[in-house]
Amino acid sequence: MKKLMNILMLSCKRATELIEKRLVVGLSSGEKIRLKMHMGMCEACQTYEKQSIIMDSAVKKYAEGQNQENVKLSPKRKDKIINSLD
Amino acid sequence: MEQVKSQITKDDITVWVDQYGDELYSWASFKTSSSTTAEDLVQDTFIAAYQAVDKFKGNSNPKTWLFSILKNKIIDHYRKKTKSFLSYESEQEQKGKQFTDSFFDKNEHWSEMPNESLWDDEDHILDDPDFQSTMKKCMDDLPDNWQTAILSKYILEKDSQEICQELEISPSNYWQILHRSKLMLRKCIELNWFTANE
Repeated sequence: MKKLMNILMLSCKRATELIEKRLVVGLSSGEKIRLKMHMGMCEACQTYEKQSIIMDSAVKKYAEGQNQENVKLSPKRKDKIINSLD
Repeated sequence: MEQVKSQITKDDITVWVDQYGDELYSWASFKTSSSTTAEDLVQDTFIAAYQAVDKFKGNSNPKTWLFSILKNKIIDHYRKKTKSFLSYESEQEQKGKQFTDSFFDKNEHWSEMPNESLWDDEDHILDDPDFQSTMKKCMDDLPDNWQTAILSKYILEKDSQEICQELEISPSNYWQILHRSKLMLRKCIELNWFTANE
């Protein structure tokens, strides 16, 4: 029985990997069941899952925030581009 | 509507450099986080446009056309970058792997329990400017290629499967990097934000 449990039960490392995998390619039905079993009894991984979602929003916001500066090409650089056309 | 000549000349391109150069550059800087790379990509865009003027349809919008060329240049840039980091593991990345491995014990269970209560106030933290600066620090701490991977979704504005195709990276490689990036970000946020604000 213990051996069977070991096969069925994911480690926390593996479970959190599957949480990320699910977002990229989705999971096989076996993986879905094993993740569900793990999540049902592991609070730490439930917490990770919530944090993972928050981090996605935070990264998105960070990426958008990078876009605020309105930078310009120097006239010199524009000339260089024009000269490179020959 | 403006009448566009069917034959595009160097003079037309020169006008475009002046007219659209800044916008293209600004966009490329944002997408690549590097002014030098952005300048080069904008230059490449105009050279490519000049060489492909035959393909430009007189009735289409030059700005849209230039942006579509630049967009492909940016994807090329990321593809090359991805290729080089897949072929070679940087010291920074090795350290990142060791660090994130240390979050789990030998049975691959958490060596330290994640602290949930600290993260409860999510709506609030995302709008906090101080949190944004913590985020910047933590993003900067990630190995370069991990940062690229986690940002690529928002930079290239594509879904995960398309990103793997465009960057020629296997999906398993991609989600494993995302997993490690998030473990590391999470640790950094806990150390620099929550602990500092207790």
